[in-house]
Amino acid sequence: MAAAMETVESLVAHIQALTKPEDVAQLHSLLKQSQSDEALRSQGPHLAPLLADLDPAKHSLGYLYLLDTYLYSSISREQVAAFLPSIARFLNTCSAYHIRFASDKFISVCRCFKDQVMRQQTPIQGIIPLRSAVQKLQNSSEQLTTLHSDFLLLCLLAKCYKPSLCILENDIFEAENPKDLFLFYYYGGMIYIGLKRFSKALECLHNVFTSPMANLNAIAIEAYKKYILVSLIHSGQVPPFPKYTSATAQRNLKNYAQAYLDLTTAYATGKHSEIEACIQQHIEKFQSDNNLGLVKQVLSSLSKRNIQRLTQTYLTLSLQDISNSVQLNGSKESELHVLHMIQDGEIHATINQKDGMVIFHEDPEEYKTCQMVNQMDLSIQRLMSLSKKLTAIDEHISCDPAYLTKIGRERTRYEFDDFDSVPPKYL
Amino acid sequence: MASSSSSGITFKLHPLVIVNISDHYTRLKAQTLHSGESSSCAPPSNGGTAGSALSAPPRVFGCVIGVQRGRTVEIFNSFELLFDSKTHTLDRAFLEKKQELYKKVFPTFYILGWYSTGSDVEEADMLIHRSLMDINENPIYVLLNPAIIHSQKDLPISIYETELHVIDGNPQLIFVKSSYNIETVEAERISVDHVAHLKPSDGGSAATQLAAHLTGIHSAIKMLNSRVRVLHQYLVAMQRGEIPLDNSLLRQVLSLLRRLPAIESEKFQDEFLMEFNDTLLMTYLAMFTNCTGTMNDVVEKFNIAYDRHSRRGGRTAFI
Repeated sequence: MAAAMETVESLVAHIQALTKPEDVAQLHSLLKQSQSDEALRSQGPHLAPLLADLDPAKHSLGYLYLLDTYLYSSISREQVAAFLPSIARFLNTCSAYHIRFASDKFISVCRCFKDQVMRQQTPIQGIIPLRSAVQKLQNSSEQLTTLHSDFLLLCLLAKCYKPSLCILENDIFEAENPKDLFLFYYYGGMIYIGLKRFSKALECLHNVFTSPMANLNAIAIEAYKKYILVSLIHSGQVPPFPKYTSATAQRNLKNYAQAYLDLTTAYATGKHSEIEACIQQHIEKFQSDNNLGLVKQVLSSLSKRNIQRLTQTYLTLSLQDISNSVQLNGSKESELHVLHMIQDGEIHATINQKDGMVIFHEDPEEYKTCQMVNQMDLSIQRLMSLSKKLTAIDEHISCDPAYLTKIGRERTRYEFDDFDSVPPKYL
Repeated sequence: MASSSSSGITFKLHPLVIVNISDHYTRLKAQTLHSGESSSCAPPSNGGTAGSALSAPPRVFGCVIGVQRGRTVEIFNSFELLFDSKTHTLDRAFLEKKQELYKKVFPTFYILGWYSTGSDVEEADMLIHRSLMDINENPIYVLLNPAIIHSQKDLPISIYETELHVIDGNPQLIFVKSSYNIETVEAERISVDHVAHLKPSDGGSAATQLAAHLTGIHSAIKMLNSRVRVLHQYLVAMQRGEIPLDNSLLRQVLSLLRRLPAIESEKFQDEFLMEFNDTLLMTYLAMFTNCTGTMNDVVEKFNIAYDRHSRRGGRTAFI
C-alpha cells in the first residue's frame, strides 16, 4: 500500500516536472505505462488530495489521467458530486494541446461529468465547462466530436439555448461516429425549434434523415416526424425526399410517420376544422411522441399562411374581410394577428386603424446599403470555400474503387462498341 | 566598342519608329521562314539579308528621320532601305528618292541616321555609318534587339553615336551608346495601346474574351494601386519629417486630389451601391449554380458507389 502510494507520488512529481511542450510525449508514455500498472488504479479513491496539488492548466495531461482513474474507481456518488467544481475548473482551464494526446480519456471524463450533472438535475451547471471542452477537443471548427451531442443535450435540458449557438453555427465537414452526427443534428434541430428559427431547424433535421444509413434508426424516425411538423409551420408543405436520401430511409420512413402525413393532407385543405379533426384523431400518437406543442403551432400557423396568401391577391383589405377569409373571430383578432406578423417580419403592411384597412407593401429592401455588400461578400466567400471542398470530394469519389467497379460493370453490359475506359482490373 | 556618350545631346524617340522597325523585322522573318520552307529558293524581296535566311534571322536596315533643335534630337519616323549584301552598302538611289518623297510631306524632317536589328554593334556597321556621314555629319544608329528576353523589362533599343577617340595612337571613330527618352503624341499613344492589347485571334468564346478583358483591368488597377501606395508612403515620410518638404510635389499631389471624386451626392451612392449589389448577386447566382452542379455530380457518384439497395441485381437501366 505504501509502495503503491509512493509510485503515485513519484508519478505526481514527474507530472509536475515535465511541463515543457517537448516533454509531453514523454509524459504521455509514462502515464500510459502507469495506467496498465495496477498500483495507480488501486490508489484511485485516494487521489483527490494529490489532484489538488496539480495545476490543471499547466499539468493538463497528468491531471487528466489521475482524474480519470479517480472518477472510475470505486468512489461514491457524493464524492463525485463534491468533486464537480474541480472537474468544471479543469474543463475550463485545461490546455487543448495536452488533451489531444489522450482524447478518449478526456471524453470519458466529460461523460462522467455529464452523467453526474444530469443526475443532480442541474444541467445548467455543466453547460459552460462542456462547451469549453468541446472547443478544446475539436481540431477545427468543422470537426464533430462525441462531446457535441452531450453538450447540446445539456443545453436542451437546461433550456438555455444561447450558449449552444456558437457551436451549432459551424458547418460540420468531418464526423467520426454516425450516431454522434444523428444525435447532434437532432438536438440541434430541437434547439432551433425552441428558438423559433424554423428554417435552421429544418436544415438540421433534414440532415438527420437524409444521412446515409444502411438500417433505419429511431433517431431518424423521430427527426422525420418533427421535420414534417416544422416544414408545415415554416412553409406550409412537406418537400419530397431529395435525391441523396438513402433508399432505406425513402422506403421505410413513411411507414412510421403515418399520423403526420395525415396531418399534412389535412393542412393542405386549408381549413381549421379539418386540421382540428385530424389532430383529435391522432392525439395519443402526438402526445406519446412529445410533439403536441409543435402540432398546436401548426394549427396557429395556418392562419398566418392564409393571411400571407392574401398579400398576393390584394393591395388593401379591410380587417373584417381578413377575418372572414381566414376564419378568425372578428376584426380585433385579425388585427392582432397582422400586427404580430408585421413585427416578426413575415409580411410588410401598414394598418390604418381609423377605417380598419390594411395596406400590403412590397419588400422594402432595396439592396443599396454597404451592409448588404458585406453580407453578400461573406456569402460568396462561404460558397467559394464550399465549392472547393465539393470539387475535392468529387475527385475523391471518382477515384474510389467502389465507384469504378460499379461503373465498369454497368458499362460492359450495355455498351459493347464504346471504348471501356475503366481498366479490366476492376471488372 | 560602346561606352556612354558625352556629347550632351538628348534623344527623344517616338514609338512609331519602334513599331516600324519591329514590323519590318517581323515581316521579313515571316517571309524568309516561309520561303525557306518552300521548295523554290527565291531570294526574299524587301530589305537586305546578311547570311542565310534559315540559320540566322535576317537583319533589317532603314533610315530614321526627324528634327534636330539645338541639343535635342527628336526621331519621328523611319523608312526601310535596300541593303546590298555584296558591297555592304545601302542603295543610294533608293535612299535619295525616298528622302525626296518624305521631304514633300514633312518639310521639317531630315535624315538623322539609320537603324538596324541585332544584339550588338558590328564592324560592318561602321561602313554604313560613314556612308551616311555625307548626308548628316553626325548620324545616329538605332539598334533594336529582336530577341525576346522575358526577364528584361526595358525596351531592347539602343541609340549609338560616333565619337573620335584616340586608340593605339590612331584616331578612330567608335560607337558610343547614348540615353534616350520616349516621346509620344496622342495618336501614337492610342495605337500603341491598341497593339499592346491584342485579343487572341480565336477569342470567339465570350469567356476567354471576358477573362482577357478583366485581366487587363485587373493589372491596370493593380498598377494604379501600387503607384498610389508609393505616393502615400512618400507623403507619410514627409509628414514624419524623414524627407525634406518639397512644396512643388505637394502642390502636384493636391491638384491630383482635387481631380478626384467628381460626384459625391447621396443619390449617386445609392445607385452605385445598387448596381454593385446587382453584380454581386449575379456572381452569387453563378456560384450557386456552379456549386449545385458539383453537388449533383457528387451525389450521383455517391449513390452509384455506395447505395447498395438500389443497385442490387445490377440490371437496372443505366441512363
